[in-house]
Amino acid sequence: MPDAVVLDLVVNGESIQVLAPPHLTLLEVLREKLELTGAKEGCGEGACGSCTVLMDGRPIRSCLTLAVEAAGHPITTIEGLATEEGLHPVQEAFIQHGAIQCGFCTPGMILSAKALMDRNPQPAEADIREAIGANICRCTGYAKIVEAISSLSSNREDGHE
Amino acid sequence: MSEDRTQYKYIGRSLPRVDSRAKATGQARFSADLSFPRMLVGKVLRSPYPHARILNIDVTRAKALPGVKAVITGQDTHGEKWGVFPYTRDMQMLQTEKVRYVGDEVAAVAAVDEDTALEALGLIRVDYDILPAVFTIDEALADDAPLVHEDHPRNRNVEVNIDVGEVDVALLGAYLVRTDTFTAPEDDYFMAEPYAVCARPDADGNIEVWCPNAGPHMKAKPLANVLKLPMSRVRVRKIAIGGAFGGRSEISPADFLCSLLALKTGRPVKIVYTREENTITVRQGHGMVVTHTTGMDREGRVAARSSTAHLDGGAYSSTGPIAVSVPFLCMEQTYRLENVRFHGVRVYTNKPVRGMIRIHGRAYACGVDMQLDMMAADLGLDPVDVRLKNARRPGETTATKSLVGSCGLVECIEKVVEKSGFREKYGRLPKWRGIGLGLNSVQTGFPLGIRGGSQAMIKFNEDGGVSVISGVVDNGQGNDQMIVQIAAEVLGVPPNEVDLITADTEVTANDPGSYSMVSTFAGGNAVRLAAEDARRQLFEVAADQLEANPADLVARDRKIFVKGSPQRGLALAKVVRLALIQGRPVMGQGSYSPRVDHGREWVSNPEGQLSEAFSFGATAAEVEVDPETGQVKVLNVVAAQDCGYALNPMVVEGQFEGSVAMGGQGGMLTEFHAWAGGHCLNPTQLDYQVPLAVDMPPITPIIVETIDPNGPYGAKEAGMSVAMSAAQAYACAVANAIGHYIKDFPLTPDKIVEAIRTRAPRAPREFGSGNLFDHVKK
Ligand code: FES
Ligand code: FES
Repeated sequence: MPDAVVLDLVVNGESIQVLAPPHLTLLEVLREKLELTGAKEGCGEGACGSCTVLMDGRPIRSCLTLAVEAAGHPITTIEGLATEEGLHPVQEAFIQHGAIQCGFCTPGMILSAKALMDRNPQPAEADIREAIGANICRCTGYAKIVEAISSLSSNREDGHE
Repeated sequence: MSEDRTQYKYIGRSLPRVDSRAKATGQARFSADLSFPRMLVGKVLRSPYPHARILNIDVTRAKALPGVKAVITGQDTHGEKWGVFPYTRDMQMLQTEKVRYVGDEVAAVAAVDEDTALEALGLIRVDYDILPAVFTIDEALADDAPLVHEDHPRNRNVEVNIDVGEVDVALLGAYLVRTDTFTAPEDDYFMAEPYAVCARPDADGNIEVWCPNAGPHMKAKPLANVLKLPMSRVRVRKIAIGGAFGGRSEISPADFLCSLLALKTGRPVKIVYTREENTITVRQGHGMVVTHTTGMDREGRVAARSSTAHLDGGAYSSTGPIAVSVPFLCMEQTYRLENVRFHGVRVYTNKPVRGMIRIHGRAYACGVDMQLDMMAADLGLDPVDVRLKNARRPGETTATKSLVGSCGLVECIEKVVEKSGFREKYGRLPKWRGIGLGLNSVQTGFPLGIRGGSQAMIKFNEDGGVSVISGVVDNGQGNDQMIVQIAAEVLGVPPNEVDLITADTEVTANDPGSYSMVSTFAGGNAVRLAAEDARRQLFEVAADQLEANPADLVARDRKIFVKGSPQRGLALAKVVRLALIQGRPVMGQGSYSPRVDHGREWVSNPEGQLSEAFSFGATAAEVEVDPETGQVKVLNVVAAQDCGYALNPMVVEGQFEGSVAMGGQGGMLTEFHAWAGGHCLNPTQLDYQVPLAVDMPPITPIIVETIDPNGPYGAKEAGMSVAMSAAQAYACAVANAIGHYIKDFPLTPDKIVEAIRTRAPRAPREFGSGNLFDHVKK
């Protein structure tokens, strides 16, 4: 087995040094070394999106990303979304709109949605579907998820929805 | 919605689910998320062959590998065989003599980490004598077929025969008779969470188990059996569960292997399946071949139907007797049938094991509706009228003698037809567009003998806090919220203040589990009764204090007061404390066992009350087909279901929408397994196509409420009738669009293109026009 290396990670705003073999994926390091189990392994091969986290604000598949690649790039996991003031608006919208059933896809889905809202605060429905197009949800049929994200569009009140 | 919702404070309202906050923040723990001090990693060695005799297993090198703490083979087990029914006990948790499919369990290891465990698997040497195998229903039933189980000649596993009325006479007298064969290969759950199990032994010989389940009590019993432990020592704990859809009902060999490894090493062990393992070794949907012979009178009434169904069951029985029967039962509930015959056969093959799935029997159900469309066309009748003529009405009895109480099927049809514009569109849509209608009905539970009922308890803390104790499990559908809303309503406390102690076999009492769509009906009723029992006791204490009649009291907003005079009341906490000090502490109890005929048995006596209530659904789908590529674009779906009463409309709608995705969009357009020599060719989400957000059409959910007299607040079941009817609607819509009835599901582009290019299309564009091929020639 290859020797462990020291990784300088920035996770949810915190600088962390992790000692890990270089072949570990970011998902493995998050779940097993940092005990951040919000990111899930649904497939381990880039197909399901349940392992989605944000790297430099962009959604990535942590199962396909080596932890060494993430060194130095700010990582946001689902655990890092809520603040002392409360839940992130995307989290709140998912709860209020019934967008969460079993919840296994939810962390990845919420992070994909957050990344979308950060770069496009007025997404059209097609933008939303595309932004979560690589996050598989087997429970909801996506309808309530799309509703939840649409509800956050800054467009809504203006009747442009 | 029909029911006046103002009479309730919490029931019938779209409240956010109590479990959603933990899930939105990543704090909800699923089985694979658990870790314990000194925990070991478990891995399973599986058969690489579809059929082989095990000659010898040598584990010496694996055992010697540093870091390996235990290696187990069939020799370490009691050899016990598991089966859902006493007559279907055919599956060992580790095979001792033969392996019967690629993936069958042969050995397991526990080691300090995953790499060591995997290395150890590679060091186990198994000598096999490879046997000839059977991979299809035809091969399995052949005269000289190799036998998957030696005691089942011709690989016939389970047979169900039903014969009611005078089928042959009625067919002879029918105006029109058609025979069609419909087929569908295996489909799959693809629940989001791959199977994972954690087992932790304690010093007293107990074992705690966390795993995805559709009923912890239904897990604990077989697990105790195969471990040869009393049930009280096997504690299946509550854990977040990433979907079930019928695929988490039975004990999994992983539960047993993980527990045995934990007991042997005295350390916690975790086994996490890969996606591929989850697909291959948990359960799959059955492949099915169905032939319907249906006779109709001139007006479109079905005079008789004779159906045969052959199911590819894979290597073991699983829920076989139920699986064979349910496709027939759903349809006998949906449509009136006085003369009906059913011959269902489940065969063993050397493929993975098949169980119940949300759209179980798609070939059967889609075949029924598609054939109705064909016959309506032949007779020049409107397909909606034909369905209405044959649709189930309340107060009727099914062919196998189940009384149908509440039934809103006609209302579902009418609403869906109106909302989708079906009558205006059918036969009048532009070229390559079509619309289809499907109807279905499912049960709220089966006769499950001693495990058919649910028990609940309500206890209070001295500060007035309420805890509900119930065996009901939530696999994602919202059962926790259902329980909380019911208890909150009865006791007059806010739902988010109700503490839940559920799905833990050490503390919760018997419950049938969440499969067979029974949770709301049995578990919800039990919680309602327990809460009412607690409230009655609270009212007695409060009535003494208030010098009022208990019958005049109400519980609302954490207070108990005289109806109409909220000032004449006491805080709930005060009443709880009074009860404590008076030596009559409040503890509510309730149980509910659905009234079914316990003499009914799937094979030996398929007759009698199957379920206390039935839900009904109708779905219309409108599609557009690209004739060049065979791609189907779904333009619109309208789905209605009589769910009795929507305890939480938002949750119910979520069930409908998920059902359309799984049943219609996936189940009828893309989802199937492909095989080569017993190997599944598409075990992962890269190649098995489940619907994505970009695929889904707009869905209009319509909740129909019939207020079932026996369901909690009138509720029955939500969602499954939609999953099934959506599949049927999609199938009929594509036929309507391309002018050809494709009878092999799902309707993938290759089949659609082939049907358009090479065969004489026969589906009508307009009923009664007599010009069936017109639009394709243009
Ligand atoms: S686990 Fe990473 S995409 Fe599925
Ligand atoms: S909520 Fe279950 S997979 Fe999305």
